[in-house]
Amino acid sequence: MLEFLLNTIIAMSKGVGYTVSLFVITIIFSMPLGLLCTFMSNGKNPVLRAITRAYVFVMRGTPLMLQLFFFYFGITKIPFIGQFLVMERFTAACVTFVLNYAAYFCEIFRGGLLSVDKGQYEASKVLGLTKWQTTVRIVLPQMFKVVLPSVSNEAITLVKDTALITAIGIMDLMHITKSLVNGSAGSIEPFIVAAVFYLMVTFGLTKLFNYLEKKFMF
Amino acid sequence: MINVCNIVKSFGENDVLKGVSFKVEKGQAISIIGSSGSGKSTILRSIVGLENVDGGSIYIDDEPLVENGIYVDDKTFRSRSLKMGMVFQHFNLFPHLTVRENLCLAPKCVLKRGKDVLNQRCEKLLEKVGLIDKIDAMPSSLSGGQKQRVAIARALMMEPEILLFDEPTSALDPELTGEVLSVMKELAAENMTMIIVTHEMSFAREVSDRVIFMDKGVVLVDDVPEKVLVNPENERIKSFLNKL
Repeated sequence: MLEFLLNTIIAMSKGVGYTVSLFVITIIFSMPLGLLCTFMSNGKNPVLRAITRAYVFVMRGTPLMLQLFFFYFGITKIPFIGQFLVMERFTAACVTFVLNYAAYFCEIFRGGLLSVDKGQYEASKVLGLTKWQTTVRIVLPQMFKVVLPSVSNEAITLVKDTALITAIGIMDLMHITKSLVNGSAGSIEPFIVAAVFYLMVTFGLTKLFNYLEKKFMF
Repeated sequence: MINVCNIVKSFGENDVLKGVSFKVEKGQAISIIGSSGSGKSTILRSIVGLENVDGGSIYIDDEPLVENGIYVDDKTFRSRSLKMGMVFQHFNLFPHLTVRENLCLAPKCVLKRGKDVLNQRCEKLLEKVGLIDKIDAMPSSLSGGQKQRVAIARALMMEPEILLFDEPTSALDPELTGEVLSVMKELAAENMTMIIVTHEMSFAREVSDRVIFMDKGVVLVDDVPEKVLVNPENERIKSFLNKL
């Protein structure tokens, strides 16, 4: 019994790599991309504004699963250019997740940006700070404070969303869990082990964000 | 030192400034009074570049910021307007920075002053406004009066030649206005050039070299405090003062 559990854990730990890497890559790339979109959608250029709005509308308005299939299978079927867009499973998953989460972060950051008081910009201007200095030193720190709870929420959702990549045949934690269950004539232990893993990660994230929220309390 | 010449400004249909002119000499303190909506704050905001005027000229030390409605380029504007500091009604301190950081950020980034010079000046100014013990405090832990005194110190850190005050005590509890006004009186006594938009009539009478009374976007009277506040001849001013 114990041995079975141990073997289960060892087998599943191989899938954890994909799950964790996807999570880390998505967080690292989608947040800056989301921030860039925020500035574009708030900027003066009407073309960039329209592009970001359309992008956010599509990425938020369609299922992540559909986007995953699109970037892995669909995109290769586009006439002429499709053949250049063939990606490894995991690459396609990363591209999909980064683009999807960037759209959500864009909206979250946009809300945060709107919450920064007009007086902060005025004080900065009168003190002679440049637009860049105002953004980096005055606006962004105040924005981060406001968006932290929502970012925390997104990060936790992301941990669980990574399980979707099973659908395009990546041997992630969820995939291995499922095959272990199928292979062992209906034992449920793998499900529980997987659940404990996801819970451990989300618990860690919750603690991390609680810490950040305390640190950004001003 | 400041020459405001026939400035015109409207927000949509609403003409806020209809040809306002006045001069401020070095070392003078000028108060601008008038009912709300008369354009007092808009004048200050226009001088410092937070609003763009539609016409007229503004000169600082004979150098134009805007001439006949045409602005100098951004860089020139920025360097010329650095002679002015501004204190806002709602303080506008940076909430994520300590008092010291609030004071030192702009002179560090803009004037490129060294750390030691900044710390010294920061301590000297906080001493002056009576808040040296709050140097490492966050703005959220300060009272309104303390915030406004920090804001004054922050403006002074940029070594301005002119200070503009936009209703500096209007957002304060009555018992906290005194501490802010006394700092301002001290500045006036040191011959700081100041333009003060205010509703504090006794303060205006005490510190001002001249009082400008604004009404519906024009300067109605521009004279010494005695003429404007003590023995006004103008009926509009009389009725304004009686309502206070």
